[in-house]
Amino acid sequence: MKLTTRQLTLCAMLTAMALALSYLENFFPLSAAIPIPGIKLGLANIVTVFALYALGPGQAMLILLARCVLGAVFAGNLNALLFSLLGGVTAMGTMILLSRSRRFSVYGVSIGGAAAHQCGQVAAAVLALGNTAPCYYLPVLLGVSLLTGALTGLVSACLFQALAHTGLTRI
Amino acid sequence: MRSYPELRPVRWDALAVLAVLALAAASALLLWRAPAETGAVTAVISADGEERERIDLTALSPTTITVESRGYTLHVLLSEEEVRVTESDCPTQDCVHTGAIHGSGQSIVCLPARVTVRLEGGAPADGPDLVIG
Repeated sequence: MKLTTRQLTLCAMLTAMALALSYLENFFPLSAAIPIPGIKLGLANIVTVFALYALGPGQAMLILLARCVLGAVFAGNLNALLFSLLGGVTAMGTMILLSRSRRFSVYGVSIGGAAAHQCGQVAAAVLALGNTAPCYYLPVLLGVSLLTGALTGLVSACLFQALAHTGLTRI
Repeated sequence: MRSYPELRPVRWDALAVLAVLALAAASALLLWRAPAETGAVTAVISADGEERERIDLTALSPTTITVESRGYTLHVLLSEEEVRVTESDCPTQDCVHTGAIHGSGQSIVCLPARVTVRLEGGAPADGPDLVIG
């Protein structure tokens, strides 16, 4: 993939923002309310949704991969890479399909991505733990993904609305 | 902007929500089947994909088992009524916050330590299912 300097800069900036959002959500621990390992708001998904529409699937995938690798390095926890990659790539694939269909709004795409992310993470947990015990949490995780997906969809919609007048996103 | 998304919920979004709900309900039905009322429930403790302990909970007086895995130590309290992780030095503490589990099929997962505690069995033992009269 060939990127212009402008595109590369924007990708780098969005990666940094995604990492910052991942860090930020540590201050709103969803797991305190719902004690399930690995449950979180998924704020970094806002960046993925934005990149998918503004930059296209290729660059959105680059940002996602950079975010997962750097996130694992910064956390000093390479075990987390399996979880974020499997969750992230499953979510990305689903959102690409949903957005390509051009039938869903940013809410539908975001909710589909959040639900797929949970499925990917449960799969990662099954692989990491070597048994199917994590599947027990899948129904709750899917239910929660409706809320977190709608939340990231709302933020994304506000973001697009705000940027529509600036022309900043015309790339 | 390559493609501008629809910013207000559309009818198809309801379909996405319904699909996720259906998936949640289907997986709940499949994974949370009500355990049988009789029979022995066994607690299976695994670490790093390997089974460490298998404990029959029938008439078990409260027992604490220590599980060490990946540099973390978990204390698992088992009794006839329930199983819970009472103490863990893992950073997330999700396993402790999960609380008590008591039915077959339920589980406690500790991701940092790679430990799972799962309740198995609960299928009717060799006796009759139901005695009438």
